[in-house]
Amino acid sequence: MELFVTGYGAISCIGNNVQEILHALKSEKTGIQKGKQAHSEKYLVGEVLLSNEELMRKFALKTTGSRTGILGAIAAKEAFQGHKLDASIRTAVISGTSVGGMDVSEKEYRNHIDNVPQNLHNYAHHSSGNSSEQIAEELGITGFINTISTACSSAANAIMMGARMIQQGKIDRAIVGGTDGLSAFTINGFKSLMIFDEEWCRPFDESRKGLNLGEGAGFIVLESKESMQKSGSNSIARLRGWSNASDAYHQTASSPEGHGATLSMKEALTIAGMKANEIDYINAHGTATPNNDLSESQAIINVFGNNIPPFSSTKAYTGHTLAASGGIEAVIAILAIQNGCLFPNLNHRNVIEETKLEPIKSLKEGAEINAVLSNSFGFGGNNSTIIISK
Amino acid sequence: MSELKEQLKAQIIEQLNLEDLSPADIKDDTLLFGDELGLDSIDALEFIVLLESNYGIKIADPSEGREIFQSVNSLAAYIEKNQ
Amino acid sequence: MVFVQALSSISHQNSFQKDSIWTELTTLEANSECESPDYKQYIPANALRRLSPVLRMALAAAQDCQSKVDGEFDAISVGTALGCLKDTEKFLTTFLTTNADTLSPTAFIQSTHNTIGGQISLALGNHAYNMTHTQNSVSFEVALIDALLCAKDGKSNVLVGAADEAIDFLEGLRGEIIQSDRQFTSGASFFVLGPQEKSVKVIDCDIEYGTQSIHQSIDQFLAKNNASINQIDLVLFAENIDLNAKKSLNYQDYTGLYYSSSAFAFHIGHDFLKSTNSSKVFIVNNQSDKRLGLTLIEKHEA
Repeated sequence: MELFVTGYGAISCIGNNVQEILHALKSEKTGIQKGKQAHSEKYLVGEVLLSNEELMRKFALKTTGSRTGILGAIAAKEAFQGHKLDASIRTAVISGTSVGGMDVSEKEYRNHIDNVPQNLHNYAHHSSGNSSEQIAEELGITGFINTISTACSSAANAIMMGARMIQQGKIDRAIVGGTDGLSAFTINGFKSLMIFDEEWCRPFDESRKGLNLGEGAGFIVLESKESMQKSGSNSIARLRGWSNASDAYHQTASSPEGHGATLSMKEALTIAGMKANEIDYINAHGTATPNNDLSESQAIINVFGNNIPPFSSTKAYTGHTLAASGGIEAVIAILAIQNGCLFPNLNHRNVIEETKLEPIKSLKEGAEINAVLSNSFGFGGNNSTIIISK
Repeated sequence: MSELKEQLKAQIIEQLNLEDLSPADIKDDTLLFGDELGLDSIDALEFIVLLESNYGIKIADPSEGREIFQSVNSLAAYIEKNQ
Repeated sequence: MVFVQALSSISHQNSFQKDSIWTELTTLEANSECESPDYKQYIPANALRRLSPVLRMALAAAQDCQSKVDGEFDAISVGTALGCLKDTEKFLTTFLTTNADTLSPTAFIQSTHNTIGGQISLALGNHAYNMTHTQNSVSFEVALIDALLCAKDGKSNVLVGAADEAIDFLEGLRGEIIQSDRQFTSGASFFVLGPQEKSVKVIDCDIEYGTQSIHQSIDQFLAKNNASINQIDLVLFAENIDLNAKKSLNYQDYTGLYYSSSAFAFHIGHDFLKSTNSSKVFIVNNQSDKRLGLTLIEKHEA
């Protein structure tokens, strides 16, 4: 059964909606800079420069919640624009998140530690499930609402689950993707792992030191052909393949030979019924950590051999948006197809010695892009790949 | 130096939560990241925390740790040198 | 058809590795404790040292399931409502109270929801599909729905389960955010689903957020599955609901309070079918009035 993308929406440090993001991508302008919040000011991050209250006002949100929920509601609302609710079109929301409502809980927990009176209601938004429910409420959707939490592969996995549910006739339409707001918990967490770069990150570069964190949300609307006939929506792309595989190597590091990543890319191609040489662009996970970029490079070589398609990591634009990355990057994949643009891997100077793979160094327009493969790899060796085409 | 080494062994057990071990189980020259103890890259980061919180020594680059954390001997020597 | 190939629960009941938990089920006393096995038998010391209670329970139950089936799992689907609370609290406390430049990373790494599934895949050397679902009180149901999708897709050895742990901090939320008098408890229940005929088959599972009428949703679900309430031999619910059924039990009386406890209800239902002359069990997870989880399982006559 063919799956169609009939809407997309995103918010990140390079734009508050899809058109702004496209503009930034074409302008080769990063949104990573010194953080403006108390928890982010010591780091280079990809922050959305609006407070929760400003976001709610600017996007006329009906609902309230954690930053993760708010960003998600904004992107999902943009994706669902022009769509209507219809009792005969069973519509689900499946969102990925790793932070959940932690940005609110952690502020309240400080009061708990300091032994001062707490506003316990601030913990009500803590659970990851709540962020998806907030998105559903914003759009007026009831029924199947689910949250996937597999760290950085969450959004890709949400897209995959939506696809499978439509194919098996459980639902007709799905709003799928992911969202994560920046939180002190995550910033300190990655600090404890010593995988930050104190400078602007350099994906796939020999001198790369680590990642810059980001925040944001990205969603697409998936429909079956029957659903599109009922809803009258227009397709902007097709979802062709997907896969999830486990590396089973280590909790935080990827295997040097990129085993899990190789499996997920190969299986996604199989599901798409496509050969490796049909991929015109790879939007890599490319976090700029020494470990990921080497492992992913090796996996790309394993799958594509001598015919490596043009590839880039767009995380030097957006930062690593954790659970949202698969959703934002699905939107970027569609923009690449729609606009015939190969978006560059910013801030790249020298190839990785061991693998010598050279990413796209500057924007290329007028490219014929029919199919894009997008990777999202999470902690715990959770490797996901999706394939989107015209 | 031997007092430092005994202290280190107890701290290692605590920091890495090696519940079943006692300081006597770790020899001065046991390869900490060898097969016997089965420590990994997360433990290497915990060693960096141990050095800072107990001895005030900061290690900025985790890859420097490989040599320093080879054994209790090398750890003790590094601490003596850098305190 | 999808059958339950194996199952394993660690709970506040004496449930681990019991042939049937139905016959020994007792309502929980106040201040009950988790009946944990000797984890050293299931988890190597090197891994065990880092594992919080929820991780230990889930891993031991998953290992127990693996020992009861042939071959590697070809899909793993885990549900957890609140994830690894102990490590979350530990890391929160660490960074909120320390002035040091370096922070201990272990609690952070162990705090993510998918550590449960990740540890299972690591321990078993398993490279298959590995998913973690978290949807508050229906976290088990969404994991089960995914497992059923996998089975329909042709996977024949699917591990599905859910786990959650209690921490003291939750007590402070009672009355404000959490309206229940029940003891906060912990539990992990895991199952293996596959096409080999066994005594219990999984008919269907569904969730609904924003239910208008529970009774209507129940009727529609049962009708969709060619069943009606008077055919159900046992209804297991989380909050009292009068369905006029032959036999009804509140499963929280046996699980205590955690938000993926319907997984244990599944285990109860399974063993009830196996141990009694019955044919259908219906689990109504109405633990929250915001969302509903419905699961139907039936005895299989070979």
